[in-house]
Amino acid sequence: MRPENYQAVSHPPSHEYELNIGPNHPGIEGNYALRLTLEGDIVVAARADAGYLHRGFEKLMEGRLWMQNIALVPRICVPDPAHMEICYALGVEMLGGLEVPARAQWIRVMQLELSRITAHLFYFGGVAATMGMYSNMFWGVADRDLVLDLFEEFTGGRVYSMFNVPGGVRRDLPDGFLGKLKALLDYLESRLEDYDNLFFSNYVVVHRSRGTGPMNRQQALEWGVTGPNLRATGLAFDVRRDDPYLVYDQIEFDIPTEEAGDALARILVRRRELQESIRILRQVAEQLPYIKGPVRCPLPNPLAWNVPAGDSYARVESSKGELAYYTVSNGGDKPWRVHIRGPSQMHAVQVLENLSVGSRIEDIAQIMFTLDACPPEVDR
Amino acid sequence: MSEINYKSRGSILNPLRTLSFLARKPVTLPLEPRAAAPNYRGFHLNDWEKCIGCSTCQKICDNEAITMIHIPELPEDPVQGVRAQRPAIDYGRCCWCGLCVDVCPTASLSLSREYIHTCEQHELDSYFILPDPHGMHKRFYDHGWRKTADEDLIDLQRQSMPEREPVERLQSFDEFIDGYDTQAAILEASRCVQCGMCHDSCPAHMHAPEYIRAIWEQDLEEAVRQIYRTNPFAHVCGRVCTRRCESACSIGVRGEPVAIRWLKRYAMDHVSHERIRAIAGGQRSGNSSGRRIAIVGAGPAGLTAAYDLAREGHAVTVFEALPEAGGMMRYGIPSYRLPAERIADDIDVIRSMGVEIRCNIRIGQDITLAQLHENHDAVLLGIGLQFGRSTRIPGSDHPGVHSAVDLLRRIRLGEFVAVPPAAVVIGGGNTAMDMARSLARLQIAQHGLACVTITALEDREHLLADQEELRETGEEGITILPARGPQRCDIDDSACIDGLFTVAVRSIYDEFGRFAPCYDDSDVQLHRAGMVVEAIGQQADLALLGEELTERLAWDRGRLQTDNRGQTSEPWLWAAGDLVNGPDVIHAVADGHRAATGIGAWLAEFAEATA
Amino acid sequence: MEESKELTGWLERVLEEFHGVKVQRKAARRMRIDIDADALPALLELLQGRAGYVHLSAISCVDWIDDGQFELVYHVLSYETGTLVSAHIRIARDPGVYLSVYDLYPPAAFFERDIHEMFGVYFEGSPDMEKFILTEWDGPPPMRKEFDTRAYVHATFDWQQYDPEWLREIRARGGGIVE
Repeated sequence: MRPENYQAVSHPPSHEYELNIGPNHPGIEGNYALRLTLEGDIVVAARADAGYLHRGFEKLMEGRLWMQNIALVPRICVPDPAHMEICYALGVEMLGGLEVPARAQWIRVMQLELSRITAHLFYFGGVAATMGMYSNMFWGVADRDLVLDLFEEFTGGRVYSMFNVPGGVRRDLPDGFLGKLKALLDYLESRLEDYDNLFFSNYVVVHRSRGTGPMNRQQALEWGVTGPNLRATGLAFDVRRDDPYLVYDQIEFDIPTEEAGDALARILVRRRELQESIRILRQVAEQLPYIKGPVRCPLPNPLAWNVPAGDSYARVESSKGELAYYTVSNGGDKPWRVHIRGPSQMHAVQVLENLSVGSRIEDIAQIMFTLDACPPEVDR
Repeated sequence: MSEINYKSRGSILNPLRTLSFLARKPVTLPLEPRAAAPNYRGFHLNDWEKCIGCSTCQKICDNEAITMIHIPELPEDPVQGVRAQRPAIDYGRCCWCGLCVDVCPTASLSLSREYIHTCEQHELDSYFILPDPHGMHKRFYDHGWRKTADEDLIDLQRQSMPEREPVERLQSFDEFIDGYDTQAAILEASRCVQCGMCHDSCPAHMHAPEYIRAIWEQDLEEAVRQIYRTNPFAHVCGRVCTRRCESACSIGVRGEPVAIRWLKRYAMDHVSHERIRAIAGGQRSGNSSGRRIAIVGAGPAGLTAAYDLAREGHAVTVFEALPEAGGMMRYGIPSYRLPAERIADDIDVIRSMGVEIRCNIRIGQDITLAQLHENHDAVLLGIGLQFGRSTRIPGSDHPGVHSAVDLLRRIRLGEFVAVPPAAVVIGGGNTAMDMARSLARLQIAQHGLACVTITALEDREHLLADQEELRETGEEGITILPARGPQRCDIDDSACIDGLFTVAVRSIYDEFGRFAPCYDDSDVQLHRAGMVVEAIGQQADLALLGEELTERLAWDRGRLQTDNRGQTSEPWLWAAGDLVNGPDVIHAVADGHRAATGIGAWLAEFAEATA
Repeated sequence: MEESKELTGWLERVLEEFHGVKVQRKAARRMRIDIDADALPALLELLQGRAGYVHLSAISCVDWIDDGQFELVYHVLSYETGTLVSAHIRIARDPGVYLSVYDLYPPAAFFERDIHEMFGVYFEGSPDMEKFILTEWDGPPPMRKEFDTRAYVHATFDWQQYDPEWLREIRARGGGIVE
């Protein structure tokens, strides 16, 4: 909302005041605005204001060929692009009956888990910054950079990999890649202890985040919360387990949960998920040399590719929650409708508003960051 | 899973733990530029030698970041499929997805391992670049993302065409190519990238990209409509065309070209004849112009001109000396390549435009050219090249030595041609192959066994027949002996042809490129045969012109001289087709169009002048 | 997840009795139900209350301009069985009004607000129908098929004009951009 469009609302004389936070604010994740009504330090009402990152992806995708959309799709969620690409590819594969070769599925799992690690490393830095600790951000971004180097090696792009096409992936792994992956996993595991000492075991962090923005199971289910935020209330629901896709049913991993449902629980769930991702990646690195074959099923000429008419709903577990694509085709060479359901559409709007009410102003940033509310997903 | 010990209280000694960091390696990156990963998608590199300017990259780019730039100095060759255009990229729009690299038919585009470009606000023009092999900043950072053999977005292999086995083929003169079924046609049509090289190289500039797209969309009537914009002989060309389009096809640079000829055949075969007539009949001018035009020769040139002129509203009469219309298509190409029914279908469509075709009338004999000139406003000669050339070797005047053109005509007329158990054909072009394969079939029918030998001056790589013909001829058991020249015919005591002596060829052209074959007289072979056929070229039969007209007309090295539209030095007399431009169906069709346009324009001027 | 039936037996029988309901299994954990627009709230109530479909994953809107209809799809998920049921209804494009299911599923508020903004469908009973993403947009609902983004861009914005040196040199020699 531009300043010139702001209409001042007159309040009766009281001790309530309105405060706009955002859209460019270090306490806000991404470009997003919150209009808070405060009474002293306590938030009385909150209203989210989105739209600063609206790029019109759903409309753009209707005007481009199925293959051309792979370039648009990762840009919808900035910190965690691999999930967007793979969900789109899964949706088109369901529509077109394309069978993805086994090697491609394992490579996709590797891509997803590496992307989850980068998202969580970024997340820890962000959350720490809301509490005034900036070292974690530096560490997180530096370690994330090493993972991005791996992305650059095998996908060709550091953040927006544009590596998945419906039917598989675009290139096979380069030689020696799995060795580098294993070395990086060892390095990340060795760093976890440092992160624990700095952040997760830090008494100040624990004290500040315990009890902040609490949610119980009932509220979580009612408000449509998914992903780590739901698992922080004690419900072990994970799309990878409940609605398995790719080869997750062949991989061993646990679903970490916490009981308290507050900010600390949300942080700890993600900390444990990072370890689980490393565990999954180790299994993938073990298996990949034995899975041979093409990395893509044969596809027609992208300029002459019609997908059969129908609709499909593809769901994946992104680092933030349940990500889903509803893809409709009318039998042509362009999608008829692509509807993207990002997890932050619940978290950044209703949940954030509801949790903000009754909390203190200094905790607002923490609530937003621990919910991992990602505005690009809300705006598309 | 290790437990996080977050319940412990703080201790004053905790910060001392950080001293351990002094012992660790700092996380630091060097300041020097580092090489990007081998797969990195950096800025574009384009190999101008390989790039043909097909603009497929422009089509696949989802941000419309690529513009084609015409650069005059570059080579441009429509026949080979090379354009003097290269892609330029707007980095304000490009998102570095690499789809252009993956789709490029010639694999000339790649992305480099360069990371960074910066500029000030006033230097925004630097965002629009023309990629060359050296890199955006004139410093070559190695190739990054490039096309590999497995990761091509284009299918380099053609759908195979089902055909009958050679043994079965030889049993008859039936057509042995089955044609694509619907699934194969859709798959083959989907390989096309719509670059338009085929359109540029076709002599008649057929709208191939449009009809291929229509076939892919299964709108076959639209395909027929697009075909008829330029070619009323699509049944014929869909079987026997020389396929300049396929030589120019971009996919053919690294793979097999799109089977444009077979797709044309598929579209024509799968639409009913009545619908084809209706579609071709559109866009006729209803008015009659009152002009009368005579066309001599019902071959592709003459009939195409007739089709065009009749649609303009002129009264056209075509005179044909042989019993059926079709010219060389009907009487020069064997029926296993081109059945007479398909020619008749095409000609029926032309007749339905109001063209009158009168067969069994020989101009110069039954009617003179002068009479035609009296009764018509213009006369178009589309008489083709009806005589075969002779080698003039000793013995070539013997009755057992035939010319291929004559024999093929007699076979097509349905005459019985007695063929001895062994025969030799001299010549290495398509006509020689047609002749040899026809003789082989006749031998199977008459003797149960085929024995035909072909001798040609050219060596194996330079034989003039096209590759498919050579392959099929070889499959049918015919021996091809390249680099052998005919020396003399061997005649036995009973004055019958007994064989042909050939001598090895050392070279065909002299240092000036003139035809001057040089033989190695020590290497002579005798090929036993009861019949020798000469298939070394064709000549025109211009007796119909008569002495007086022949004197008046302008000639150019033995050929009738025409301007670029087909008009001779006599304004009412026009010529088109093989007579003017050498043997080939599609060239004849293109010629027919030019002549028709020329005649129409000339008549309009003439009308204005006399009005 | 254990292989219990996604819809309890009696619910399937009840659905069969509904007029105009078509149930179709699309994949292992996907089911499609086509139902009349009036019957949808009852269906959702049954699914939620009696079959455990407590999670509303999304509400999607598809513009079938040639049919003159909007298709609204309600995707509900049961955590116990892991199955997603998509309930499809069609409403007339003009006037484009429907009921809100906010009282059943609070997440619906976001989707209904989004669909209202993007497609112009009004949901009666939805708590908040104000603009969310396109707060300063005064054109037609942009996700409708008749809204042409290309025409809008041509009318509203200027294209970047580039004039680099290499292009000037090529133009001087007779070349240039191929249109």
